[in-house]
Amino acid sequence: MSPTSDDAFAARDDAPSLDDVLEGEAVLGVYRQMFAALARDSGAVVDDPELVDVAETLLAAFADAGEEGLSREQMRYVCRRYPAEVFDNRLRVLKGLGAVREVFPKPNQLRYRASFTSVVGLMFVRRMMLDGGQSEMHRLLALEQLNVADPRMTPAQARDGADGLARAFRLWSVELLTLTNGTIEELREQAPKLWGTEEILQRAERLHGAILRRWPQLDRTCTDLRAAIYAYGDASRRAAARLSDSAGTTRNLTLLPPETWRTFARTATREELAAVLDGFVFDAPAPWHEPSAVVAAVEDGPRATPPRPAPPRPSVPDPGLSGDTGSDATAVERLRTVAEQVLRGRDRVAVQDVLDQDWVTARRLLADLSSVHLHPELPYRLAWGDGMAARPDGSPTWVSSGVFERTGR
Amino acid sequence: MSVDPQVLARARARVLGVPSITVAEPVPPGFTGASDGTRVWLLPEWPDGATPALLEEYDTAPMPLDRPGQARRVLAAALRCCWPRLDDAPWPGQDALVIDVLEVYVGLSRGDADLARRWATGELRRLADTGWLLLDEAAGTVRPGPRVALWADETLGPLRDLLRRLPEPVREDAP
Repeated sequence: MSPTSDDAFAARDDAPSLDDVLEGEAVLGVYRQMFAALARDSGAVVDDPELVDVAETLLAAFADAGEEGLSREQMRYVCRRYPAEVFDNRLRVLKGLGAVREVFPKPNQLRYRASFTSVVGLMFVRRMMLDGGQSEMHRLLALEQLNVADPRMTPAQARDGADGLARAFRLWSVELLTLTNGTIEELREQAPKLWGTEEILQRAERLHGAILRRWPQLDRTCTDLRAAIYAYGDASRRAAARLSDSAGTTRNLTLLPPETWRTFARTATREELAAVLDGFVFDAPAPWHEPSAVVAAVEDGPRATPPRPAPPRPSVPDPGLSGDTGSDATAVERLRTVAEQVLRGRDRVAVQDVLDQDWVTARRLLADLSSVHLHPELPYRLAWGDGMAARPDGSPTWVSSGVFERTGR
Repeated sequence: MSVDPQVLARARARVLGVPSITVAEPVPPGFTGASDGTRVWLLPEWPDGATPALLEEYDTAPMPLDRPGQARRVLAAALRCCWPRLDDAPWPGQDALVIDVLEVYVGLSRGDADLARRWATGELRRLADTGWLLLDEAAGTVRPGPRVALWADETLGPLRDLLRRLPEPVREDAP
């Protein structure tokens, strides 16, 4: 693909004619225009992708300008984003390689036009940058398939195409073999080259079959192509096998091994480490904990004891426990007070003397005295005698003789 | 070059997260202040009184959070200790001992108690980083962060019920 091969063809003839030189010069001109966008100066390729952007901006402006072309000032205006020296350098190189040329080849020409070939070349280059060589291979195979079906195709052209494809496949398999024998990191980096190989193989084999069916006399070329296709298939399978061996259980080939991370963290400069965080926003919003989310988190959380339902709550405020616990001591104290009031320091007292009040009070007192008598803790007793005294005028109207007395305890 | 001091204060507040200023200083525009009497914490102000909980209604993913359940359980344990009067607002709350908070969290969780305490310590620090708690590790105390002041009062009912049910911190040196 280099211009020197054409020179070599021209030099094979002992006496190169003027026509040969002209022809070679025309071919070289096409090459130069195609890759003008990539040239840093007339002899080397750009080392900064921005330089290609300048060329692309210029070519787009030329496309908008139409047949008038652009003057130098207009070109400068279009490229005002770039520094002046960069623009001057690009314009000089593009002019030198024929991508931008004068509208009329005269000295002191002010208006320029752009070459169609350069734009196509740049489109090709951009596509290669986007998809890589593999998808270009798909396109080439598809194009070749169309060519083979074309009735105007000659056997010589078919042979050239098949030779070119065989050469591409051989170079590809050599590259894959080198990768397979190299380090696993490099292989992992280049892994996208291995994707979709099956489809390319099928397509290539279909093309091979089509050529062979149409021109059986090309069987030697087709054998070469077939061998190259199979070699490529073997190489890609081996590389994929090595890759999947090293990946272990994970199938995510873009994951880096921990060692790579650690090495990077140790060896990177401060700027490189800082660049890792370039895409991060540091005033990112804080997490929000809604009260209901807090409640849900606690209720869904693991717990040691089984969940208990909340006890029912009264609608009125809860005043807490009351002071009256109903304990026995209070009642005993009250009964003891009642008994001592009845006895008034004496050891025994007659019941009918105590009950000389109205019946409502007296019956309450009698009930208390009975309780005192029945309480096992209290040292009092109620002893009833025989007989009954009727008192029609008194209250109560009858009493039986009885005493309330202190027992010795 | 002169920059409007209000604009500068706002930019500083956005970079620093939830910074605090003295009460005497003015609150920059676009912020609400949560004051505990001596200092004011600057909090983002949302339009129409909405909170980020609104995102859920729009099926928008909220701020991603590692182990949100654990963080919220620790927050609940901390509130159980620093928000003793549940009928009041949670902010500004009271100082509580970190060990009490850890004990409440251990009571909430299952499994190894030491491990739970370590997890909870990490979550306490993360909650303190994002302004949900104010953690004083030197003194071993924690109190509610200014962000709880953004909770709307009508959403607090279930949380109050929950905190009433949570066990109290068990203290060895309690009288």
